[in-house]
Amino acid sequence: MTLAPVDYLIIALYFAFVLGIGWLIRKRVATSEDFLTSGRSVPLWITSLAFIAANMGAQEMIGMCASGAKYGIMTAHFYWIGAIPAMIFVGVFMMPFYYGSRARSVPEYLRLRFDEKTRTFNAVTFAAMTIFSSGISMYALGLLFQLVLGWSFTASVLLSAGIVLVYTYLGGLTSAMYNEVLQFFLITLGFTPLAILAVQRAGGWEGMASRLPAVMTHSWRYMDSPASNPMGVEAFGLVMGLGFVLSFGYWCTDFLVVQRALAARTMNAARNTPLVAAFPKMLIPFIVIVPGIAAMALMQMNVGYSLPPKGAGYNYDLTLTTLMASFYPSGLLGVGLTALMASFMSGMAGNVTALNTVWTYDIYQGHIRKGAPDRHYLLVGRLTTIVGTGLSIATAYLAQLYNNIMDLLQLVFGFVNAPLFATFLLGMFWKRATGHGAFAGLLAGTGAAALTHGLTLAEGKGGWIAGLHEFPSTMAQNFWIAIFAWTACFLVTIGMSLLTRPRPEAELTNLVYGIKRLPAPEPGVPWFERPAALAVVVGAACLLLNLWFR
Amino acid sequence: MWDLRLPSGLFFTLLGLILCATGLWYPGHRAPLTEANVNLYAGAGMLVFGGVMLWLARRRS
Repeated sequence: MTLAPVDYLIIALYFAFVLGIGWLIRKRVATSEDFLTSGRSVPLWITSLAFIAANMGAQEMIGMCASGAKYGIMTAHFYWIGAIPAMIFVGVFMMPFYYGSRARSVPEYLRLRFDEKTRTFNAVTFAAMTIFSSGISMYALGLLFQLVLGWSFTASVLLSAGIVLVYTYLGGLTSAMYNEVLQFFLITLGFTPLAILAVQRAGGWEGMASRLPAVMTHSWRYMDSPASNPMGVEAFGLVMGLGFVLSFGYWCTDFLVVQRALAARTMNAARNTPLVAAFPKMLIPFIVIVPGIAAMALMQMNVGYSLPPKGAGYNYDLTLTTLMASFYPSGLLGVGLTALMASFMSGMAGNVTALNTVWTYDIYQGHIRKGAPDRHYLLVGRLTTIVGTGLSIATAYLAQLYNNIMDLLQLVFGFVNAPLFATFLLGMFWKRATGHGAFAGLLAGTGAAALTHGLTLAEGKGGWIAGLHEFPSTMAQNFWIAIFAWTACFLVTIGMSLLTRPRPEAELTNLVYGIKRLPAPEPGVPWFERPAALAVVVGAACLLLNLWFR
Repeated sequence: MWDLRLPSGLFFTLLGLILCATGLWYPGHRAPLTEANVNLYAGAGMLVFGGVMLWLARRRS
């Protein structure tokens, strides 16, 4: 793939705009809260688009297109089961406690609700994870551009990370979120023509369905047993593992996304953020997964499109870029690649801004220096941007050198994350849950995850203690690890809480359901702006999509 | 307060103009798997989106 001058012009125009937005917003930053939490001043349409854009990293786009080619429309479960229900839940039921507690971060909520050790455990693992994941996606982007465009790894890594650094340094969370919205538009408008062209060339949905095995175009029909679908999962493992534990764990407790909703102006807007975001979110499969399926149909048609082989199959990770090379002429090709860069930047800025807040408020202010003037924390926040970006770049190079360490780290973070939702669920809806209970539960859940991985095998992974059970795929193994981790955390938190002294109710106001009710609708808010009404509409639309593509 | 619709409207209008110009001046630019003048159509789409954003920004102020 070679680029023409017009493609470079488009890339340069995009860089100029993201930097310009950062430059214009820098004047709005006067206090540490402006920099780290946007001072709760961002309009709803921006918080909701930033809410999903922060999650649309380049790896997500490339990976979802690859999964579309590999597994078919079943990949949409990651959206229609694996995201929307959890987004409804966080908006309707959990946001009142996050926003109402006035916590500045998710770990800070844990300190208010439980205790310092639970918060620190969450803050430290979360901070490490943000650096790790932005480093890994930087590595993936550098590698892709090296392979597809022949750009040097160092140049693409330093350039894209440098731009994110500049605009987040200048304008903090507000700048990151405003840019995420611009990036969201660019990703959507840049990928939509590809979906239209690829699907049209493959003969529309009917044409694709007639050229491919039926399992590629049905999301539910082959879910009765792991043997009948290429993912190797069955409906129960999918719904409980992905739909409940993993997706609620991510959308309801991950500060990266929750932070965007907390920047909203009012409680009602904070609750509506994930609900409004759910509408575009459920349509994203059509611009990333469906083109992947079309790519497989095109391969059957002998029109000159094929994926490069890898091992016994294909190198699915190149689906998105090979499609672009086949359908985009110079000009739009520049837009497509810029959209890919934009998705990388929105994901990275999400990680950087979340790290800033957690490091500054939960680790630095919590443990290293309490009670300094606000100016000091603003400076710490800004410096964290630089240090965090530097560490991410270092991680990207480390990934290039030691792939095994990265796999191991990813595994360990997965163990830590799996039980989290049980802690929040009990914390928000059971006033008897205690700090000791939550902490013991988290440790037990993480342990249970590691134990499940050690005792089971899948595609040669795991089983380092004994091979008691073999899963048909690592995906099924991951779902079941999550189910066991969640259950262990849930039970141990309850058991330990009953053995320890409860906190007096007066200390739990605004933190637990039942001590303060869900807020009544604010007066003057029309029915269609109320979270409950939006939730019903979103839920119905998502159900319809599941039925349509069943 | 500063309105994001203005810069995003500007960005997509410029992008649309660049793409339309490319599509009109180099109508022979074709990708291997399609016969359509993709630049022109996509550029027109972006112009419309950029125009709507600018109109919304203007209406508010």
